[in-house]
Amino acid sequence: MRSPVGVLDCHGHLGTHVDFPAYKSDAESMLAVMDLLNIERLAVTSTLACYNDCPRGNAEIDGLLKRYPDRFLGYITVNPNPPGQALQELERWAHFHRPPLIKLHPGLHHYPVTGPHYRPVWDYANSTHAIVLVHTWDSDPNCGPLLFPAIAREHPGARILLGHSGVTWRGYHQAMEAAGQAPNLYLDLSGSQRHRLILELGVERLGAERILFGSDLPYLEASMTMAHVLTSRITDEAKVQILRGNFLQLITEAG
Amino acid sequence: MSQLIGEALLQEAAEWNLFDVNARVGPSGIYGGLSLDADGLLAEMDRFWIRDAVVSHWTGEEYDATEGNVALERDLRPRLTAAWAALQEPGFLDGLAARRPLAVRLTPGANQHNFSLAGWCAGPLYEYLEEHSVITLIGRVDIDWDRLVALMENFPRLVVVLLDCGYRADRFLFPLLDRFPHLYLDGATYLAHRQLEAFVDQRGPERILFGTRLPLYTPAAALGVLASARISDGARRAIAGGNLRRLLAGCRNASGEVKG
Repeated sequence: MRSPVGVLDCHGHLGTHVDFPAYKSDAESMLAVMDLLNIERLAVTSTLACYNDCPRGNAEIDGLLKRYPDRFLGYITVNPNPPGQALQELERWAHFHRPPLIKLHPGLHHYPVTGPHYRPVWDYANSTHAIVLVHTWDSDPNCGPLLFPAIAREHPGARILLGHSGVTWRGYHQAMEAAGQAPNLYLDLSGSQRHRLILELGVERLGAERILFGSDLPYLEASMTMAHVLTSRITDEAKVQILRGNFLQLITEAG
Repeated sequence: MSQLIGEALLQEAAEWNLFDVNARVGPSGIYGGLSLDADGLLAEMDRFWIRDAVVSHWTGEEYDATEGNVALERDLRPRLTAAWAALQEPGFLDGLAARRPLAVRLTPGANQHNFSLAGWCAGPLYEYLEEHSVITLIGRVDIDWDRLVALMENFPRLVVVLLDCGYRADRFLFPLLDRFPHLYLDGATYLAHRQLEAFVDQRGPERILFGTRLPLYTPAAALGVLASARISDGARRAIAGGNLRRLLAGCRNASGEVKG
């Protein structure tokens, strides 16, 4: 199986995982799978940074981008808990990409996305027209999708990707409801729960232009989400937008 | 609608003789928008080149085991193999045995059939299933690892297919697969990056069965993983349906009868 469309993937990682063995997770193994499936570029965040060490984790991304500048894009991952660290990291790694790609993981950092420690990050994202990928989960008090319309409306310059779109059937419905309330909210398809009909529903409610392909590589199998998109009952044009066009537009526009 | 990049993308699967071990049919009170009647289920299977499926009935899972089995009998079609609802009650076992089951699906949760999977509670049921090599489907959500160990220690010939074990289970799963030769899993949620390849590399292809979780999940997920795995054609076909057909044949041979 191989995508006939060169894919731009908005959600990937670099690193291993705490609670299950991550197979073939080194950069070269990921590239082999990307070649197999026709994923041209993968935007990655450091898993080390998502857990406990942003400075070291972002440095790993910097090294990856230097090795494979044409295949990976780098998110700057920030943690709201160490005082002042988030803005320091954003400035230190500003060369990753313009507009900036920023990753927030309120779930693992145990801090609500609406909390005051995130405010400087949102202000930065607003002023730089950053693309902000945020982990979301169904009804989660730190990162439930319904927390995002207010943030998005207050920071219209930021383009916010609802990572995993809330994951569950209910989470997806929350993500669609949220995205319906703010034009700068987008659905990211990465996730382990591949609900039948959910993609068709998302396209019907929001339009294909608000949905992005994400794999969660190298933790989740990219081929499952790819096959979901390719076999869904939506138009070819919509599939191309989701697999490639929408993320391409975000990363090449100033917002 | 898609002409260039639709189901044809996975058409190679038509050659694999796919047999889904993890499907449900009938109305669901919880997942009403996704549930499918038998004809709808068959149509969805056709879209993804799935030839056969083991199916349980939502009524047997969400409501009453006996009512569910009556509904399942009514909804069966030639390509669908019943996974009957099963209880541990003595009277129920007689009725189940009369159906000469090839497969059962146990749903013992507190909000479902509400019984213990331990031998002291369901021993006679397991003895029957073990004696007749009936394929016993249990969702991971319905049994914790220690209870699964106890079950398989007490009934070592019981053929258990652990459904929906998730992609984070390998640190539990691999030791259990080494220890219990009649334990299997389905692939519906075994979806981590290159996990299927790693499984085949480390354990061979015999212990994992193709499953979709229809009608909740799109079959595209499990099929995409199977299609893109860098494994041998023999391994792919075993996972696609060969393993399950072998288990079903074992059940048919256990009592030398025609069963359904």
